[in-house]
Amino acid sequence: MARKHRNQNQIKENIAGYAFVMPALVTYVLLIAFPFFLTLILSFTKFNFLKVRSLAKLGKYISWIGLDNFRTIFTDRRFVQSIGNTFVYALTTVPVSIVLGLVIAYLLNGRVFCKKPLRLAFFIPYISSIVALGAVFKFLFREDGLVNRALMGLGWIAEPWKWTVEPSLSKIPIIFLVIWTSLGYVMIIYMAALQNVPRSLYEAATIDGASGFQQFTRITLPMVSPTTFYLVIVRLIAIFKIFGSVNVFTMGSSIASNTSIVQEIYSSAFSDYAHGYASAQSVVLLLIIIFFTAINFGGQKKWVHY
Amino acid sequence: MKKREFSITLVKTLIIAVFALAFLLPLIWMVTSSLKNTNEVFAGNWQWLPREWKWGNYAAVWTDPDVSMFKAYLNTAFITVIGTVAQLIISSMAAYAFAKVRFQGKQVVFVLFLATMMMPTEVTIVPRFILFKTVGLYNNLWAIILPHFFNATAIFLLRQFYIGLPDDLMEAAKIDGAGHLRIFGQILMPLTKASLISLMVLSFISCWNEYMSPLIFLIKKPLYTISQVIRWYMLDDLQRYDLNMAAATSAIVPVVILFIFCQRYFVEGIATSGVKG
Repeated sequence: MARKHRNQNQIKENIAGYAFVMPALVTYVLLIAFPFFLTLILSFTKFNFLKVRSLAKLGKYISWIGLDNFRTIFTDRRFVQSIGNTFVYALTTVPVSIVLGLVIAYLLNGRVFCKKPLRLAFFIPYISSIVALGAVFKFLFREDGLVNRALMGLGWIAEPWKWTVEPSLSKIPIIFLVIWTSLGYVMIIYMAALQNVPRSLYEAATIDGASGFQQFTRITLPMVSPTTFYLVIVRLIAIFKIFGSVNVFTMGSSIASNTSIVQEIYSSAFSDYAHGYASAQSVVLLLIIIFFTAINFGGQKKWVHY
Repeated sequence: MKKREFSITLVKTLIIAVFALAFLLPLIWMVTSSLKNTNEVFAGNWQWLPREWKWGNYAAVWTDPDVSMFKAYLNTAFITVIGTVAQLIISSMAAYAFAKVRFQGKQVVFVLFLATMMMPTEVTIVPRFILFKTVGLYNNLWAIILPHFFNATAIFLLRQFYIGLPDDLMEAAKIDGAGHLRIFGQILMPLTKASLISLMVLSFISCWNEYMSPLIFLIKKPLYTISQVIRWYMLDDLQRYDLNMAAATSAIVPVVILFIFCQRYFVEGIATSGVKG
């Protein structure tokens, strides 16, 4: 009798549990899980969805080409370059924004005047529309823009540099844009982490005669290392899927020197209508992200102090 | 000693202020350019302030008969409000179930949800395009709204919060004959208000500034979001830099004003999402 009662209770709990999870679960299945598997499947096909006239004969429009897309990817110089570019963006913007973010958070965390307005200044770019900010940067880095004007005024360059056109320069405006827009985020996360460092540690160090710099390297850095680890992962992943900041600069231009992985996926899918190939590129992106998340978790044990 | 402390604080403030000013310069350039004549923006004899203040630039951007910022604001606000409210409700419900309901298969579903935190939505743009086009949501604001219904991070954060709420609260209500719906809606959910406000801020930022999905799904001009209006001015043959910057300023200013009023929630919202759970 008691057992039957328990069973009935369990059934009730099951119904309640799934009823509560249902809206999330349905969205998950339709908009995450199903598209995910479809990406995997389509990556082995040559397929242009816009050519499909009737869904009943969908099979007719899909040609299975096995691993051909993946073979193409490694000979597709533009896509290989986009992977290289994305790594350049990651290797430049992630360290710079994390170091600068920590320094600014550290300074702002101590005693300063006008703390809130100053914090706001660093924060605005992070909460603002990336297209709006990208448009501003694209204009600032124009040949007759403010950056060239300033550099020439300082006498650092003799004639205007073609930041947005010259392949060797074209990544620089994007790198600055990304650092500018991500620093506020890094700063806020570090400010929260710094508040959790016990004051007693600094007091003890002061009594022992440690200098401000020693306190920063010996106490602050180790104590915020879990946060640093978190930020490295989050920022790396954010850069691997960088699109908006790049798209603003690549729109209306055909150079490949500043394009990114997602920008290339986007143009394969919506300019070339190569939906099979774009899916294969998406799979490569996913593998890169999973790989780096795994490495990060592996490396965590070595340098993070809890 | 006191004097020395004061000067250290002052020097620190000055160092940060220099950084802060450098950060604001592009935005100051944006605002002043939005009030200039087109040919003044990149003029040979360039200066910071407009020679003639052209407030009409904003009127032009907001009332353009082809692509009006006003319509874009309505579209973006619609996406943001529905996307955010739905995300908070749906995530709260799921979080409650994961934390407080003992249903079978809970762990499996939860792990499946968590796994998606590793998969960026950018990976699935092709299937989503196929799906939305098939069900007739192409050129429809709902194509942008629906994906916001599921957010693994929000579910995860709220679940942590619900786990922290004592079971005694529920037990007492259960004895009084309350079902899960009552316990969730009337007793526990109101207690998560602080977390909900933080998540609301995060969702607001991501909906308001969303760029890629509208670019793919909203092709008709009356459906443009704010991001697309700025893009439209960038691609326009007339190259109206002044109007372009007026559009950019229009996109940023409301967010900044909102931030100034809700600074605490913005900061907490972003910080909690980054705190190790």
